[in-house]
Amino acid sequence: MTETVIEVRDINTTLGGKVIHQGVSLDVRRGEVIALIGGSGTGKSVLLREIIGLLEPGSGSVKVLGEAVWDLPAERLGALRTRFGVLFQDGALFSSMTVEQNVATPLREHTQLPLRECLQLARLKLAMAGLPPDVATKQPSELSGGMRKRVALARALALDPELLFLDEPTSGLDPISARAFDHLIRLLSDSLGLTVFLVTHDLDTLLSIIDRVIVLADGRVLGEGSIEKLRQIDDPWLTEYFSSRPQKEGLNGS
Amino acid sequence: MNRAELKVDEAQASVQMSGDWVVHNPDMVTPPARPAGKITKVDGGGLTGLDTAGAWLLLNLMSESESAPQLELVNFTPQHSSIMQLVTEHFAATQMNATPSALTFRAQLGRGMITFGKHISGLLDFVGRLTFELAALVRRPDHFRWRELGAQVQSIFVNAIPISMALIFLLGVVFAYLMGVQAKKYGANIFVVDGVAAAICRELSPVIIAILVAGRTGAAITAQLGTMKVTEEIDAITTLGLSPYAVLVVPRLIALVIALPLLVFLGDITGLLGGMVVAQQQLDISGSVFLDRLSSALDIHTLLVGIGKAPVFAIFIGLIASRMGFAAKRDAQSVGVNTTSTVVQSIVAVIILNAIFAIIFVQLDI
Repeated sequence: MTETVIEVRDINTTLGGKVIHQGVSLDVRRGEVIALIGGSGTGKSVLLREIIGLLEPGSGSVKVLGEAVWDLPAERLGALRTRFGVLFQDGALFSSMTVEQNVATPLREHTQLPLRECLQLARLKLAMAGLPPDVATKQPSELSGGMRKRVALARALALDPELLFLDEPTSGLDPISARAFDHLIRLLSDSLGLTVFLVTHDLDTLLSIIDRVIVLADGRVLGEGSIEKLRQIDDPWLTEYFSSRPQKEGLNGS
Repeated sequence: MNRAELKVDEAQASVQMSGDWVVHNPDMVTPPARPAGKITKVDGGGLTGLDTAGAWLLLNLMSESESAPQLELVNFTPQHSSIMQLVTEHFAATQMNATPSALTFRAQLGRGMITFGKHISGLLDFVGRLTFELAALVRRPDHFRWRELGAQVQSIFVNAIPISMALIFLLGVVFAYLMGVQAKKYGANIFVVDGVAAAICRELSPVIIAILVAGRTGAAITAQLGTMKVTEEIDAITTLGLSPYAVLVVPRLIALVIALPLLVFLGDITGLLGGMVVAQQQLDISGSVFLDRLSSALDIHTLLVGIGKAPVFAIFIGLIASRMGFAAKRDAQSVGVNTTSTVVQSIVAVIILNAIFAIIFVQLDI
């Protein structure tokens, strides 16, 4: 279980004249649930887009599942992309399709399975994402934000990926739905053996389901490890970030 | 990728799975045959890969009813058996099938009529609200958005000048050329001037420019307003105590009413110019002769009829476009559908209005 599935080396990024990353390097091993945190504008989402092959970094290398993302010819990159799933921040469901068609789309495109099996597998993924069966034939616009995220998760899982990328999975959800979503991710990660890489602001997510945290600040990796280890780091943003927690506990306590 | 296989041992009511039971394996498309007898035991010792799709396929093969079959799992790795458990748990949800039946012709016709009725009532409702807003604006003219009007006139009129002029110039050229071929046979070259003047100024320029604006500006208005609805900007305008009609619709509508007659007038000029070029090259009618004939052939009425139709077209294009923009639902598809609908509705409206005008003017003898 120590195989490295994501390997980022010395990424430098400049966007619109602004330096975003200065030598970012990180590793993610198989089966880990990893969170990437950092203040607004530290380039978390940019880094995610660079890893999944949507935005080319200025320099440096990205390897996902052993393949160098930015050196692959287009068809090999396409094949690599079927091995990981991405959950975008707002779900990014196709609004012209029903929920089950949304989830069945990757199966239709990348496998030879007949339509009936694709739709049945889509329903399996929807059930795994904790959605009731009647959701399958609805349009995405008829769903609540939390349900849309679950549908998007089901779509990201459609091809049984080895690796799952989540961009702020709990943003825009109420605390109860957010915790339920966290536990769903952990459950699926454990039972499917998924590696999960998520970008988040949500401290509760970190405390409940994460194996290891990577902190991005000033274009570099400021630190990584368990929450306890990160609390030791002397950084104003990090200190303030973690100090929001005791106050919350104080409010909730007794 | 290893071949996905299933060995049936009927004596023990068990099956042995081997190979890669994963979604990317082409073997999944033609799964092994369903075993004859009831199976109670699955041996996963030979598996080299298993994912939820493979697990589901196995359960689907084994299942005889809608619920997941009760199977005893042996020799599965912990990972594989947890996948089997997860899929077994959710298996029932995959067995209900509700494919909606295709709509019959009569149902489609009925739906079409309802949509048509909704368009008409929606437009009436929209006109009512807009009138109300205009009345409010007349009472408080200082609330009118001059800057927005200027920006809209810029995009609807100024930016459309080159394309409109080029379009009608070419129409003038083609029209004069085709008419000239016929007129030459009878030695009636000079009447080409009469023909071009009447056709361009009375019909071609107003209608073609209106269709151009419907496609160019009408579509843009619907797409803008529709997108603003998707991003909740229209709701934001309302909650800031402003009226989206006064802020968004009125300036666009007025800009259209200003822009369309001006574009038609410019079209008239370039259309006649096109006719003049052809007349000189093809029919030996010099520029001065053309202009001389034009002053007697082109009645001021003809010009005014053409330009007078333009504001009416403009109002209809503006109303249809804004109303379809506001009627967009909050998804990308709806914005696209409504934009297309705007262009179709506007062009149909322009053609119908033009026919009505033609009848009225003939009856009034103008």
